[in-house]
Amino acid sequence: MADLNEGRIDLPRSRARLIAFAVTAAVLFAALGGRLFQMQVLNGSLYADRAVAARTIEVPIKAPRGLIFDRTGRPVAVNVPSWTVDAVPADLPAVPAARDAVLARVASSTSSKAAALKQRLEAFRGSPYDQVPLLRGITRDQALLLSEQAGALPGIVVQVDPVRQYLDEAGKVDGSLLAHVLGYTGPVSQDQLNALAARGYLPDDSIGKDGVEASYEAVLRGTYGAQQVERDASGRPIKVISTTTQAVPGRNLMLTIDARLQRLATDALTWGMRAAGVKQGVTIVMNPQTGEILAMVSLPSYDDNQFATGISTAAFNAYLRNPNHPLRNHAIADIYPPGSTFKLVTGTAALMEGVTTPTQLWPTYGCYQIPGAPTGQCLFDWNHAGFGPLNIEQAFFRSSDTFFYQMAIHLGIDRLAKWAYNYGFGKQTGIKLPGEASGIIASTEWAQSQGRANVFTGELAQAGIGQNVIAVTPLQLANAYAALANGGRLMQPMIVKGETDRTGKLTKVYQPRLIRKLSASGPTMQVLRFGAREVVTSGHAFNIRDVPLPGALSGKTGTAEFGTKQSDGSLPFHSWFVGYLPSRPGATDASLEVLTFSYSATVPGNVSTEVVKYFLQKYFKVQRDYRLDPRTLSLLGGN
Amino acid sequence: MGAVTTTFVDNVRERPWRAFDWQLLLYVGLIVGFGVVMGYSASFNEAGQAAGGISQSVKTLLWVGIGFTIFFVAASIDYHWLTTFTLPIYIGVLLLLVLNLLIGRSLNGATLSISVAGLDFQVSEVSKVLMIVVLASWLSGRREKIGRLSTIVGAAVLMGIPTFLVFRQPDLGTALVFVAILVAMLFMSGASIGWMALLAGGVVAVAPIAVNALASYQRARLFCFLNPYADPQGACYQLVQALNAVGSGGWFGQGLTAGRQNQLGYLPVQTTDFIFTVIAEELGFLGGLLVLGLFALLLWRILVIGWGARDALGSMVAWGLASMLLFQLLVNVGMVIGIMPVTGIPLPFITYGGSSMISLLFRMGILESVRIHARKQTF
Repeated sequence: MADLNEGRIDLPRSRARLIAFAVTAAVLFAALGGRLFQMQVLNGSLYADRAVAARTIEVPIKAPRGLIFDRTGRPVAVNVPSWTVDAVPADLPAVPAARDAVLARVASSTSSKAAALKQRLEAFRGSPYDQVPLLRGITRDQALLLSEQAGALPGIVVQVDPVRQYLDEAGKVDGSLLAHVLGYTGPVSQDQLNALAARGYLPDDSIGKDGVEASYEAVLRGTYGAQQVERDASGRPIKVISTTTQAVPGRNLMLTIDARLQRLATDALTWGMRAAGVKQGVTIVMNPQTGEILAMVSLPSYDDNQFATGISTAAFNAYLRNPNHPLRNHAIADIYPPGSTFKLVTGTAALMEGVTTPTQLWPTYGCYQIPGAPTGQCLFDWNHAGFGPLNIEQAFFRSSDTFFYQMAIHLGIDRLAKWAYNYGFGKQTGIKLPGEASGIIASTEWAQSQGRANVFTGELAQAGIGQNVIAVTPLQLANAYAALANGGRLMQPMIVKGETDRTGKLTKVYQPRLIRKLSASGPTMQVLRFGAREVVTSGHAFNIRDVPLPGALSGKTGTAEFGTKQSDGSLPFHSWFVGYLPSRPGATDASLEVLTFSYSATVPGNVSTEVVKYFLQKYFKVQRDYRLDPRTLSLLGGN
Repeated sequence: MGAVTTTFVDNVRERPWRAFDWQLLLYVGLIVGFGVVMGYSASFNEAGQAAGGISQSVKTLLWVGIGFTIFFVAASIDYHWLTTFTLPIYIGVLLLLVLNLLIGRSLNGATLSISVAGLDFQVSEVSKVLMIVVLASWLSGRREKIGRLSTIVGAAVLMGIPTFLVFRQPDLGTALVFVAILVAMLFMSGASIGWMALLAGGVVAVAPIAVNALASYQRARLFCFLNPYADPQGACYQLVQALNAVGSGGWFGQGLTAGRQNQLGYLPVQTTDFIFTVIAEELGFLGGLLVLGLFALLLWRILVIGWGARDALGSMVAWGLASMLLFQLLVNVGMVIGIMPVTGIPLPFITYGGSSMISLLFRMGILESVRIHARKQTF
C-alpha cells in the first residue's frame, strides 16, 4: 500500500490511528455480537417467555347458565342463542360524526334508535377494548344485514350470545307466568361489577337481577373458565394458545312450583280480579307439610323475557309508572293488614295466656265500648247487631270482632306480639327470593320507636283483629296457616326443590327446613282447626262448602277496609281467604293450602274466596261451576 | 465546470473503472437487498396480510433503483468536484436545517422532514453526508496546522452549528452522529489527541445540560436501557418489547414474516429505527450475525479505500463515512439489544427511507470515486 502514498500532496496519514480506529471498530462489533449471543442464545428462552407473557392475556370462558325446571321437570328458564350487537369503542371511528354515522347505520338496519345506542355506548365505563352491548335479540335477518355491511361498520361486532328465555307450562315463550318467581337476568350494573369483579364478573356479564335468578345466582352461574389468548399490540385477540381452566356449567334447578298449578292459580285470580274490578292480587299455593310453594301468583305480572333481551327504557318506565307495581312480587314484597285472618294469632294467644278457656263464653257487642275511653267511643263489630255470648271457637268461625277486641285488651300488646312472632310474623320467612318484607307487628317497643309510650287501647283492640297496626305479607300469612294445618311446625317456605341434570331429573334434593315448632299446645291448635273448618261449613266461607272436595276444607276469611272513600261513600276492601285441605276436620295431614289476597275490591263479597273456590274446582276437576259473580252476590257484607 | 469535464474525460481515457471496488458494491448490495426483504417482512402483518407491505416494498425498490443510479453517477465523477462547492453546500445545509425547524413536518413530535413535491425529504439524513464533505474539505486544507488547537475548535464550530440546529428539531440521534463524525474525523486527520481529550472532558461536563434540554419523554426513553424492566408498561414499553423480540429469536429466529412480536405490532417503528429487532426475532442470532458481518466487511472496505486514497480529502471522506456507519450501527443495534440508550438513529441501508437510501448510496458512490481516482498521478 506504500506506493499509494506517492501522489499525496497534503496531510500525512497515521497508520497508528487507522489501527486504533479499526481495533475500536472490531471491539464494538465483538460487543454487539457478544451481546446478541448472550440475549438470543444463552438467555433466549427467558426473553421468549417474557414476550409470550406480555402479549397474552387470560380471557374468561363463560359458563353456560344453569337451567330451571318446574317440579314436574318442565323447563321454565332456558338458554337460547340470540344475535347481539356489541361495539368495541377502540375500533369505532374516533371522529364523533363518523362514529354517529356508524351508530345510525346500525340503528337503521335493526329498526332501533341511534340515540339509544349512543346512550348505551356513552354510559359504558371500562376499557375501550371491551365489548359494549348495544342490542340484544335482533333477528337473524337483521344480523345478516349488519354482517354484510361489516366493512362500513368498524368497531361493531355481531355475534351469537346465549340469552335467557322464560317459558310457560306449555313450553311457550311466556315470561309473565313465572316472572315473580324466576325473575330475570340482565347486564351487570357498574355497582355490582365493582363488588363482584373479584369473583370473576365481567363488564359485559349477565347477572340474576330478581327472583330465583338472583337468589340462586351463585348456583346458576357456574364457574367461568379461562384461556390464554394472544393479543396484538392494540389489544385485539388473535388466537387462543391454551385453555387454562375449563368452564364449569351452572347447576340446574328444580322449582317447588308446578307450572300447571301456577297457570290454574293465575287463571283463577285473573278471573276474580276482572270480575270484581280488583287491581292487585296474590295467590299462593303451598304444601303445608314441607313449606314447598306450589304456585305463587302476583298480579299484575310482567314479561321477564323483555328484560332478558334488554328492555327498552320506554317499556321499563311504563312498568315503573303502573300504580299496581307489576314489577313487585306482592306475595312477599308488600305488606297489608291481615284483617280477621289474624284472629288465629289472637285466638292462640288468648288460649295460651289463659285469657279464656275453650269453653268460656264472652259477651259480644254491636259496638264495643273501649275501656277507659269516654262513653260512646266504641269500636263496631262488622255485625252491628252483635252475636250474643260466644266461646272462642264460635267467635273464630263467626269472626266476631268485639270478641277479639276483648281478647286483645286482656292480653296486652306485648303478649299478642309475642304470639304473632311465634307464628312467624314481623320477620322475613327466609324464602330464597329477593325483596321479602318483614311486616309490622305492634308492640310497646314498636310504639316507642314511633315516639309514643305505648299503643293506644283502640289500636290494641284493632290489633286483635289484624287491623291498623298489624301488617303482614301474604306469604307470612300463608305460612302461619300452614303451621296450623300441619300441627304446629313453622316451615321455611321453599321455592327451589333441588338440583337436576340437564334433562330436569332431580339429582340433589334441598331438604325442607323447620323454622320452629310453635309454642301453642296441641289442644289449643285443635280448637282453632275446628274453628277453621266451621268457617267453611257455617261461617263466612260457606259459599265454598258446596264444592265437592276430597277433604275437609278449612280456612279463614279476612277483610280489611282501607284507603279513601269511594264516590258512593264506601271504602275499598282487601279480602283474604286462606284455606287448607285436611282429610277430615281437625286433622293435620293437609298437603294443599291456598291463599288468595285481593287488593282494592269495591264489591261487597269476598272475591278471594271465589278465587280459591275456582282454583279448587279446576284443581280437582270439578265439573259443576260453583262460582258466584262477586258483583251481585249479597253475602254478609263484611268479615 | 471545465476542470471537472476534463478530469472525467481523462479518467475514461485511462480506463479508471478497472479500479472500481466490486467488493464495496457487493457488500452494499447485499445489505440493501437484506434491508428490502426485512422491510417487507416488517411491514407485513397478519391482520393486514401485507397490504401495506407490498406497496412499501415497491417504493423501497424504486428508491434503491434511484439510489444505485446516483451511486454510479457519483462514482464516475471525481470527488474533488465536491470541494468546489464546499461553501455553498455548507450554507445550503444550514439553510435547510433552519427551514426544517420553521416549516418541517412533525413526526413523532420531532420535525424531521420537509415535504418537497409530495416526497418527504429528510434534511438531517442529507445533511450528514454533506457535512462529511464539508469537514473533509476543511480538514484536508489545514495541512501543517493540523496539530493546533484551532483545528479542533474550527472543526467543532463548523460542525457545531448544524449539530445544534439538528438537536433543536429535536433529533438527538442525528446530532450525536454529527458529534461522532467530528470526533472520528479529527482523530483520523491527525489532530492533537491532548487537545481533543481536554475538549472531550469539557463536553462531558456540559452533557447534563444537554440532557436537561431534552423533552421529558426523550429523557425517560434515553435512560430506559439502564433498567428497562423497571417500567415495562410506561416509558420503557417499546424497549422492553424490542428486547423480548430480540431474545425470542434464538439461534435461527422464528422465520421471515413469522416473528410474533413483529407481526402482532408490538415492535415500535419496526420498519425504521427498530428494524434490527425484526431481523433478530425472525432470523435469530445467525441473521443478526450476518448483518453485523456484512457491515464489518463494508467497513473494512471503506477503511481500505480511505487508506488508499490519493489525497487527504479522499481519506477524510472515507473516515467520515466509516465513523458514521460504525456509530449508527453501534447505536442502532445497541439500542435494541439494551446496551445503548434509545435514540432515533436509523440502521444504514436497512432502515426504510428514501432520502436516507439515496444519500447513503450517494456516499458510497463518492467512495467509489475516491477508489477510482486513487491511482491518478496527475492533477
